[in-house]
Amino acid sequence: MSTLAAERETVTAAEKQPSRPLVNVRDVSIRFGKLQVLERMCLSIREGEFVSLLGPSGCGKSTLLKAIGGLIPVSEGTIDLGDAALRLGLMFQKPLLLPWRTTLSNVLLPLELGRKEAIPAKGHERALRMLELVQLKEFADAYPHQLSGGMQQRAALARTLMQDPDVLLLDEPFGALDELTRELLNEELIAIWTSGATRLKTIIMVTHSIPEAVMMSDRVFILAPRPARLVDTIEVSIPHPRQREGHDVTQFIKRARRLVRGVI
Amino acid sequence: MKASWLVPALFAALFLSVWEGAVKFFAVPEYLLPAPTVILATVDRDLFIQLAVTFSEALMGFAIASALAFVAALVFVRFKTVEQGFFPIAIAIKTTPLVAMAPLLVLWQGTGWWSKITAASLICFFPVLVNSVKGLKAADAEYFELFKSMGAHRSQEFGKLRVPYCLPYLFSALKISSSLAVVGAIVGEFVGATKGLGYLIMLSSAHLETPTLFSAILASAAAGIVLFYMISAVERAVVFWQTPGVE
Repeated sequence: MSTLAAERETVTAAEKQPSRPLVNVRDVSIRFGKLQVLERMCLSIREGEFVSLLGPSGCGKSTLLKAIGGLIPVSEGTIDLGDAALRLGLMFQKPLLLPWRTTLSNVLLPLELGRKEAIPAKGHERALRMLELVQLKEFADAYPHQLSGGMQQRAALARTLMQDPDVLLLDEPFGALDELTRELLNEELIAIWTSGATRLKTIIMVTHSIPEAVMMSDRVFILAPRPARLVDTIEVSIPHPRQREGHDVTQFIKRARRLVRGVI
Repeated sequence: MKASWLVPALFAALFLSVWEGAVKFFAVPEYLLPAPTVILATVDRDLFIQLAVTFSEALMGFAIASALAFVAALVFVRFKTVEQGFFPIAIAIKTTPLVAMAPLLVLWQGTGWWSKITAASLICFFPVLVNSVKGLKAADAEYFELFKSMGAHRSQEFGKLRVPYCLPYLFSALKISSSLAVVGAIVGEFVGATKGLGYLIMLSSAHLETPTLFSAILASAAAGIVLFYMISAVERAVVFWQTPGVE
């Protein structure tokens, strides 16, 4: 952790150089039967960005994320992933670990699924490295019911990283945890992202916490509910690591809150 | 630890003593209510042979029905049309009283052990089918999204998610149907048999050999209990993750 923390000090948002558009959402509408969940949504996410989709419950932000992840078909419009070979990793609010598998075996799951025949020899080694990254190596042989909620979510993160994603899609990843654990895990996620220990470059996170969105992201997309539409975008131009109580963070939180209040 | 069996054992001993004393004191005729010691005297090798016959019929029927029901559940969950088509038939089998069908089974399969195995199967099939279908569908929708996002094939979705997820549901059904299996076998023996506990019960009641009748009833209860605990032992070994406090 200390090495990650040290690396984190040196990396700033400016150095990450957001570049080409990676995910293009163009005029996307999604309907479930007669229910219009998304209406003509347009947004573009650049490579290397951390963006948040912020909005109240029922604003369709999870639906949009799942549509980007290819889990939900769009009714109209297109979602363009800049690169066909782009690897996506999804993480949900619940850890969704398989209770009959050890932590290590859960992290190995992505290697067993799909067309792959056998777990590559280096799979175990890699899985252990991922567990080390989320500080869960000592619990490799523990079963999910022996882990705390925070540890289960760390294991889920390790499993997602095991897929070696370029883009991480997070659906309120730590939303079910207590606030202290949540802040800690958020900071560690930023540390893993900026450390360059994985291929991971771009992160798209769904949240309904304004401070969380401001603390974590380069850009915050503010969504309004029923039907969901994009209201505004805030560029958070503060380098990482950000001070939770810092003046600039507080200013951005105030601005975001004003915008969100205007739409509910 | 000691108290957990000591108290029930004391009460059982007290109950048996009162029973024994009351039968002796009021001079109750033996054909109505025999004393525990008289019942115990009828426990012989023959009783154990009849018990073994009924137990193996029940076990066979239970095993066949459980295997078929689980396979049927897999097919039902995989192909919805099959479920829609066959579920009414399964319910029809369930609602028809087994006692009503037993004579037909003996007519078709004779008085040998197959008619009893079929009777036991028929009664075991439905609970296992229903619970397995429920268990195979029980995983949270997000589990399926997760598997989809990791590129899982349908066979992997079954093998690595649905089937293990179903195991606790399967075992709770197996425990229910294990005691039903003994009922099925005995009903089969009532209708037409030359051995087994059902046969012994019919015979001893016709001859007013009430002590033998009692020991046969107790033996049939024992068969159900043994089968139940066998399944529970397997369950504890297999479904370790639902048992709280396993370290």
